[in-house]
Amino acid sequence: MLAYTFKRLLALVPTLLAASVLVFLFVHLIPGDPAAILLGDSATPEDVARLSREMGLDRPIYVQYFIWLGNALQGDFGTSVFFRTPVMEVIAGGAETSILLALLTMVWIILLGIPIGVLSATRHGTWVDQLASGGAMLFASVPTFWLGLYLILIFAVWLGWFPSSGFPSIHDEGGLLNLRYLLLPSMTLAAPNAALIIRLVRASMLDVQREDHVRTARAKGLHPARVAIKHVFRNALISVAAAFGFTFAALISEAVVTETVFSLPGVGRLVVQSILRRDYPVIQGVILVIVCLYMVINLIVDLAYAWLDPRVSLK
Amino acid sequence: MKLKTWLKSAVMAGALLTISGSAMADGMLRYATVGEPPSLDQQVITSDLATTIAHHMFEGLYTFNSSNAPVPLLAAGDETSADGKTITITLRQGVSFHNGDPMTSADVLASLKRWGEFGSRGALLFDNVDSVEATGDHEITIKLKEPFGPWKNLMAFINGGPAIYPASVLEGAGKEPIAPENYIGTGPYKFASWEPNRYVELVRFDGYSSPEGEPDGYGGKRVAEFDTLRFIPVSDVGTRVAGVRAGDYDYAESIPGDLFADLDADASVKTIVNGSPLFGLVFLNSQEGPLKENFALRRAIQMAIDKVPALQVSIGPDQLWSANGSFMPKGNVWYTEAGAEAFSKGDAEAAKAMAKEAGYDGEPIKFMVSTNYPFHYDSAIVYTKQLAQAGFNIDLQVYDWATLIDKRGKADQWDMFFTHHGFVPDPILISVMNDSYPGWWATPEKAELKAKFTASSDPAEREKIWAEIQALIYEQVPTMKTGDVYTYNIASPALKGLADATLIWPSFWNVSK
Repeated sequence: MLAYTFKRLLALVPTLLAASVLVFLFVHLIPGDPAAILLGDSATPEDVARLSREMGLDRPIYVQYFIWLGNALQGDFGTSVFFRTPVMEVIAGGAETSILLALLTMVWIILLGIPIGVLSATRHGTWVDQLASGGAMLFASVPTFWLGLYLILIFAVWLGWFPSSGFPSIHDEGGLLNLRYLLLPSMTLAAPNAALIIRLVRASMLDVQREDHVRTARAKGLHPARVAIKHVFRNALISVAAAFGFTFAALISEAVVTETVFSLPGVGRLVVQSILRRDYPVIQGVILVIVCLYMVINLIVDLAYAWLDPRVSLK
Repeated sequence: MKLKTWLKSAVMAGALLTISGSAMADGMLRYATVGEPPSLDQQVITSDLATTIAHHMFEGLYTFNSSNAPVPLLAAGDETSADGKTITITLRQGVSFHNGDPMTSADVLASLKRWGEFGSRGALLFDNVDSVEATGDHEITIKLKEPFGPWKNLMAFINGGPAIYPASVLEGAGKEPIAPENYIGTGPYKFASWEPNRYVELVRFDGYSSPEGEPDGYGGKRVAEFDTLRFIPVSDVGTRVAGVRAGDYDYAESIPGDLFADLDADASVKTIVNGSPLFGLVFLNSQEGPLKENFALRRAIQMAIDKVPALQVSIGPDQLWSANGSFMPKGNVWYTEAGAEAFSKGDAEAAKAMAKEAGYDGEPIKFMVSTNYPFHYDSAIVYTKQLAQAGFNIDLQVYDWATLIDKRGKADQWDMFFTHHGFVPDPILISVMNDSYPGWWATPEKAELKAKFTASSDPAEREKIWAEIQALIYEQVPTMKTGDVYTYNIASPALKGLADATLIWPSFWNVSK
């Protein structure tokens, strides 16, 4: 397993190189100049050209790429055009919020998605199943911005139980109690994802329930709960594991709507804002981090398969 | 630990946290901004958001009082020679920078020189400056090539203006904005931190030396009542509003017109309309394309447009807009109706006849607009329909703002584009007065009037010349004003000392809660 893991990690290098070339090309090919955004509406084209020159943006793209690559290989991913701070510091600030938000959301998804999915499958065809499936459909269809705004209105404005927006770091005053800022956003993000997991757990369990080994276990007189958990649920988890992995990655990189509604300083909002501002070094850095994240999660999912299903071998 | 004891401890900790949180919040102003500023370097950045934050920490030699007249800030006084070509400015003594160093003429000299060469609005004055010298520890002498009437207004306008930095910060500084670690000014608040995507934080500067006199606009005594000013980017307007209502923010900016009636009637927030309106501008290309030098065709376009429906659609409540053709708002010394009768005719038939006479043959007119500013886009949709009714073939091109400002620098890519302009205290600062601004309006008639306008120091004469320039704008149509827009902000009613209307940018010295 170690050799396999090492090989997969090694494959990161060419993938990241290819991704860096593509991202560099794309961000430089779209019209727009960070110098023009920096200087604002009153700037003349001469002002913009002058600042572009000072920032080295007038050099050929391939020259800029190789300068960037040379620095990146030494661990220097450049400086944000806007924040004038190292790109990795900017990303680290966003990553704290995104990772904590994703973890909290995963807690909600696991707490809601798995038990309700299991219940729905074990009570297949009853009113419990219909209620769970209907609820899941409803939450899968609700737009997150709508749900987020309503949660703010009810729990922050009317009841005053939670803060309406923002997230001070857990290193700031308040420490871990600052996680309360993430409760409403994580519930918002969890709603559609938990709904999908409910549907997935239910469908997987129903599939497994029809298999021979389950029939055998029941025929042996095992307790229905033991059959459901040990023989059905564990086997159903194999397909759910992949969904968990990619849901986690998506929660980090694609939570931009929730981050916007709750004004969270996460990675999703950072990448969108950086594209609008043409902050090339930050776009480049964030995309590479996201590529890394997806590859590592892919690897973890593959390792989890092997752990859950002894028939799967890693080569 | 028993469950009961644990619960008790948790409740106590929660209560303590709440108490310490609210104590902290009383000493902190939390301002929800629409986004993040590109930089806070006032000399080169003209973003209003940047100035909203930065004018608490950077100061210039002059500022504006409530009548938009320049008054001394870091200057103590000034004298102008009889021929109007030599200006001697005396500096206030005892002023310290945030790093503890005293402000001297060496710092002012370095700041003025950098602004003159690289500042966004510096060239307007420095194209006419012969020399600038420190003629004493607290004295600066500027020698002009020709008398230049608006010099003090230019120096008082901190947005893209001559903020005074320590000379040490400016060594080697060019067009590129200075880095946050060099945000060292003389203002009542000093820079503390900029956490990307989280907040920009300023803290009270205990060594602040305030100008004397009753507070008047941005002039007079400044007292930093808050320990901390925190500017938090909250891009979603619903969240900004909910945040003020929930008590998480004390102030939120740029609220859309359709919420005005509700918020104005809501006792849990206070609405503050900006006293100085911004205005939309549609620039026409004077360098290339079908509109180049065809003033008759431009007047035909101007004739086709009725600005009122666009303002109703894009802004909403009547209190928040004014179909005012003067480039300066009513009540301002520069207000004039010269030429403004052509502001909003909306006569499609007359426009059609004028276009025919101007030789228009249905060639497409490329009109660029951005969706980043909804009022630009909404207005452009209305104009496009009105222009089509008058027989114009409008090719509406919709871009994000970054793309639009990139394309507008290339004369062959557009014929008209939509932008907006913040309030400026002197017409010389309006972008159409700059020959290099996209649109590139630089006719001999403009050059002649502009030279007279800047050479005069007599307020009455300058007002008269400005009226002639405005009339020329309506005649040659380098740009079309779309009307005044009064943006508004909301604040917690707990804030004390806030003016009923904002002068240009909100300010929080002399404000507490």
